[in-house]
Amino acid sequence: MFDNPSLRKGFRDSILILVAVAAFGVAYGVLAIDAGLSPWLTLFSSLIIVSGAAQFAMVGLLAAGPAPVLVAATGLGLRHLPMSVTLARLIGPQPLRTRLRLAFILVDETFGLTVRAASAGVEDLVAYKTAADLMLYSGFVVGTGIGAWFGTAIDPGAAGVGVLFGLLFLGLAAPMIRRRRDWIVAAAAVVATLIATLTLPPAWQVTAAAMAASLVGAVSGE
Amino acid sequence: MNDLTLILAVAVVTYMSRVAFLLKPRPVTGGPLGRFLSVFPLALFVAIATTELAAPRGTPAITPGLAAALGGVVGGIVFRRSLVGVLAVGAFAFYGVRAVVGG
Repeated sequence: MFDNPSLRKGFRDSILILVAVAAFGVAYGVLAIDAGLSPWLTLFSSLIIVSGAAQFAMVGLLAAGPAPVLVAATGLGLRHLPMSVTLARLIGPQPLRTRLRLAFILVDETFGLTVRAASAGVEDLVAYKTAADLMLYSGFVVGTGIGAWFGTAIDPGAAGVGVLFGLLFLGLAAPMIRRRRDWIVAAAAVVATLIATLTLPPAWQVTAAAMAASLVGAVSGE
Repeated sequence: MNDLTLILAVAVVTYMSRVAFLLKPRPVTGGPLGRFLSVFPLALFVAIATTELAAPRGTPAITPGLAAALGGVVGGIVFRRSLVGVLAVGAFAFYGVRAVVGG
């Protein structure tokens, strides 16, 4: 299994993500305990949801009741729809079991790496994404556990993890900007995001901005 | 609804949104939908980057994150769109500006 070069590349490429996601997991663990979740429930949520954004929204809205939490989770989940279409196109025909497994950790970071790997000509994208998913999942779950049990001694926000995530996605976007339409989409995404941050609840901002910029790309032709 | 049930509900909502188009994939070749999907990853990544760097607390603000964005763009140009180049120059700019002005 480890003879597969795509698998090995997936592990190598996601080392940076492992570190950043682990720090993100620590931050989630700290906040979840502050919000009133028990350490075991905090860890369980990372094991089965595997979505930093949805989990941060969940603990932020815990006191407001289940309805706002589920609305926020739905808003955050909308961006998975075009991501799953894109991933399905990239991996081609695969057994149902493989598709169900890949969907479980369809997150921004490993999706970004997989799209980048596809454009770089990586042969076995299923193996590549599996490796990236394993790295991200283990980092996030271990980080959550550390944050939940030892969080009072840690301040992950002080390290600027959010900025490193922002740079990671800037770096993933950079090779995709080649044609005039790509520049238009990138500019539209910046403008739409800034407008969304001023007008929409946090859970909807990225999804709405990405969809608006994609619509601009769709109507701007080739 | 107790906390465990809420966590399970969020997990179901999240997984259903992820698996929706992977259960029965259909080829999308061209047209507006094809163009929408082909640029969606780029739009998503730029939107996430903009949120984290230009509006880290939910609204646009002048923070060292903007220096990171500028550094990242410069790193992308100098190092020919390399991910490591963007990360390294952006992080250098961020921590450098934060050390000088705080924040």
